[in-house]
Amino acid sequence: MLSLALKNIFRYRLRSFLTMAGVATGMFLFTAVETMQDSLARVTRSGADDTTLVVYRENRFCPSTSRLPEYYLPSIEKIEGVSSAIPIQIAVNNCGASLDVITFRGVPPENLLKYNPDLDVISGSFEKWMSRSDAALVGQAFAQRRGLRTGDQFEAVGINVYVAGIIRSLEAQDNNVAYVHLPFLQQASKIGLGTVTQFNVKVQSAELLDPVAREIDSTFRSDSQPTVTRPEKAFFAETAKQLIELIGFTHWLGLGAVAAVLGLVANAVLLIVRGRTKETAVLQTLGFSRFRIATLVTCEGLLLGLLGGALGVVSAVLFLHWQSFTLGNEGLTLAITPDAGVLFNGLLVALVLGFSASLYPAWRASRQSLVESLNAS
Amino acid sequence: MSTSLIQIRNLTKSFRKGSNVITPLANLSLEVSRGEFLALMGPSGSGKTTLLNLIAGIDGPSSGDLIIDSQELSTLSRGKLTKWRSENVGYIFQLYHLVPILSAYENVELPLLLQPLSRAERRNRVEAALDLVGLSDRIHHRPSELSGGQEQRVAIARAIVHDPGLLVADEPTGDLDGESAGAVLELLSSLSRDHQKTIVMVTHDPRAAAVADRALHLDKGQLVAPAE
Repeated sequence: MLSLALKNIFRYRLRSFLTMAGVATGMFLFTAVETMQDSLARVTRSGADDTTLVVYRENRFCPSTSRLPEYYLPSIEKIEGVSSAIPIQIAVNNCGASLDVITFRGVPPENLLKYNPDLDVISGSFEKWMSRSDAALVGQAFAQRRGLRTGDQFEAVGINVYVAGIIRSLEAQDNNVAYVHLPFLQQASKIGLGTVTQFNVKVQSAELLDPVAREIDSTFRSDSQPTVTRPEKAFFAETAKQLIELIGFTHWLGLGAVAAVLGLVANAVLLIVRGRTKETAVLQTLGFSRFRIATLVTCEGLLLGLLGGALGVVSAVLFLHWQSFTLGNEGLTLAITPDAGVLFNGLLVALVLGFSASLYPAWRASRQSLVESLNAS
Repeated sequence: MSTSLIQIRNLTKSFRKGSNVITPLANLSLEVSRGEFLALMGPSGSGKTTLLNLIAGIDGPSSGDLIIDSQELSTLSRGKLTKWRSENVGYIFQLYHLVPILSAYENVELPLLLQPLSRAERRNRVEAALDLVGLSDRIHHRPSELSGGQEQRVAIARAIVHDPGLLVADEPTGDLDGESAGAVLELLSSLSRDHQKTIVMVTHDPRAAAVADRALHLDKGQLVAPAE
């Protein structure tokens, strides 16, 4: 039945191509939406192994308004349960929602690798970055989006830097920022030495996140710059509420794409069945059972859904991979990066849609009256 | 064991069309011997095709006995009747009804897809059937690349490829020119004569009926007299 279904699909090329093109378009949209949802889930869903806290200025949401004294660092490091802490100055080109966010993270150069040992320098060198005060280690996605290579000089947010290396990290955020020296960024962004945007604090275990956060905030409650401390992913989820609402809405777009694909395949297969009334009757006369007729129709729907779906899903994955879109809001970045799970889910959805869409046409085909169909002109 | 392959007794077929009951066949009795070539003639609406469809097992009688090769067809479920048809009957249509996107080879192979045969066995049988109808050189041609006579010969190859004992043909020469019709009739005659196929053929054409061993005339659902 499968080989017969394949022949039907490949020999009615134009009809099959048009159907698959429609399916591919719907599944492209679905995959893009799924990728956004998946990327957001990765950066906001807390896991048992998350041990990072973000200390931010209370009642501030944008990096340009969160200003904390750098001298808070020793006090934070002394709190029981803290394993390490790093002051970070952040400079962004746009604090609102944007698809092209440029983010500089200024960190003490000697602390970067100690704080973030997962950073992998895939081009250039860490030593070069250490040796130049205006050097930047640029995240892979950032570099790809901007077409940057090691040795380039580029200017953004009024800051001119030299690309000392390209980095790759398991943390999606790291792939979308440029790390520079803290004093350099403090001066270049005119914030001034001694002021940072936030502290990232690592605690010894996930159970210590809440008690350490409470302790940090109580330490600075009476200070001129009170703090609010949250787990990193909760910080992202809370700070990027608008972004999350926006992406949550796209869920409906994804459902719409799925419904469109379902309708398209069902309509195409139903038209195929109607156009082949006599052919189906001939097959029944030859001895093809109702089940075989239904299987043949279902196979065609499955193949149209799967082939069109595969085209759309793979196109979307490649497109998103090459474009390296980064959604940003209030200084946080969300890289829209597809992964194998999205690819697998997309293909599975296409398969299920193709199957579901063919059920009614298959039932219709298998139930048609043999004698009436043969007598039809 | 009876020498009759087909035994029909008091066969009636009726169906409802709106508020009217139509009876295309009424109390018809008939026997067809094994290996016989029978022609059924009669005007349009006389019940020829209805009788042919009943004999082929693609329609069911309203009453009466229809026994083919000792099998009472009216006792078979739809599924079993479909299986019986796939093993025992070859159907030849007036308009050939080949699947347009399939080659001659693939069309002839269709009935064999229902049987547990290897690809090599299927190939041997398809090639033998196409050879028998004289189309070995058109094996990869699509129906659109064949003449009407060639298409009908492919349809005959499709009807015999699984070696059924019974062939039913609904006006097999009705859409062909004289020369092609003659070739098709000669082929059917040789299938009956040389391969012992029992053939029931509906035709309007007296020349076609003349090729058969026996010709019967139907009118208003009943056998009226042997055709001359």
